[in-house]
Amino acid sequence: MISSRSDHHSFAETLRRRVLEGPGESDPALRRRVAARSAGGPSIEAPYDDLARQIGESACRTTDTQVANVLAAAGSEKAAFELIAAAATGAGLLRWQQAIKALEETSDAPA
Amino acid sequence: MRLPEIDRGDDFTNRLLIGFISIVSGMRPPDAARVAFYHKNFFGAPMGAWTQATMRSPSTWSIGERELMAAMVAKWNSCAFCVGAHGAVAAKTMERPLVDAVLADFRSAPISRTLKGALAFLEIMTLRPIELSGEHAREALRSGVTAEALKDAIAVGTLFNIITRYADALDFAMPSAKEFDRAAGMLLKRGYAS
Repeated sequence: MISSRSDHHSFAETLRRRVLEGPGESDPALRRRVAARSAGGPSIEAPYDDLARQIGESACRTTDTQVANVLAAAGSEKAAFELIAAAATGAGLLRWQQAIKALEETSDAPA
Repeated sequence: MRLPEIDRGDDFTNRLLIGFISIVSGMRPPDAARVAFYHKNFFGAPMGAWTQATMRSPSTWSIGERELMAAMVAKWNSCAFCVGAHGAVAAKTMERPLVDAVLADFRSAPISRTLKGALAFLEIMTLRPIELSGEHAREALRSGVTAEALKDAIAVGTLFNIITRYADALDFAMPSAKEFDRAAGMLLKRGYAS
């Protein structure tokens, strides 16, 4: 593992566990499905699929309707926020994993 | 779509804090700050801790270079709020025309070869993550970036691929250039820990 003055692996794992496994107003299993969908994974149930895919592919094109539909289904603003955070985290951590894997493939990388 | 609870704060303490920041700063606190306080134990705390460590802890990269990386990730993700916010912080540590030159075309901008190497890697990481390979990392290392520095850059890229997404999904309000400049001063001074 490549050393860094900041323990990024630990921070990433803390974020993953808190957002995708921790307690909240939404079901953690749903948050994990949303995160996986945002990272390019398989379709999930409506209306979460549309928002998760949108946040993963092009969040700047997210519509009010996509968020409103998730808010209505999730039942509270906190639950909707958790699902948006899960989608963003899923897309981000996909990039973290891919980038770290690429870095660790280099022969220059210290063990 | 904006969530009203984020605007007003989700408990009495947060509402007081938002009000206090408004008075002290003389401006509406940016939505990024409101999200940092909202449902804090769920998201703001773990995100704030990692962002603070990545953007402000000792690193091969200067604070300005890390802010520039954040602005570039925002550009690639078409997040106008984060381009404005982090471009403004970078411009507190380097000349504004240099920030603008990097945002326009980092490959031709007068920045170090190592920063160009890291940005080229972050561009693929942001736009085509599945294509990333050891060859992309080796290319970055050949530019003079150390493995440790590339890892620090990867952390910036990861965090701003998260931040830009919730900023846009939650329709963050766009501050004026003057407000971005004022908020940048606070972000430079106080950092990201919420």
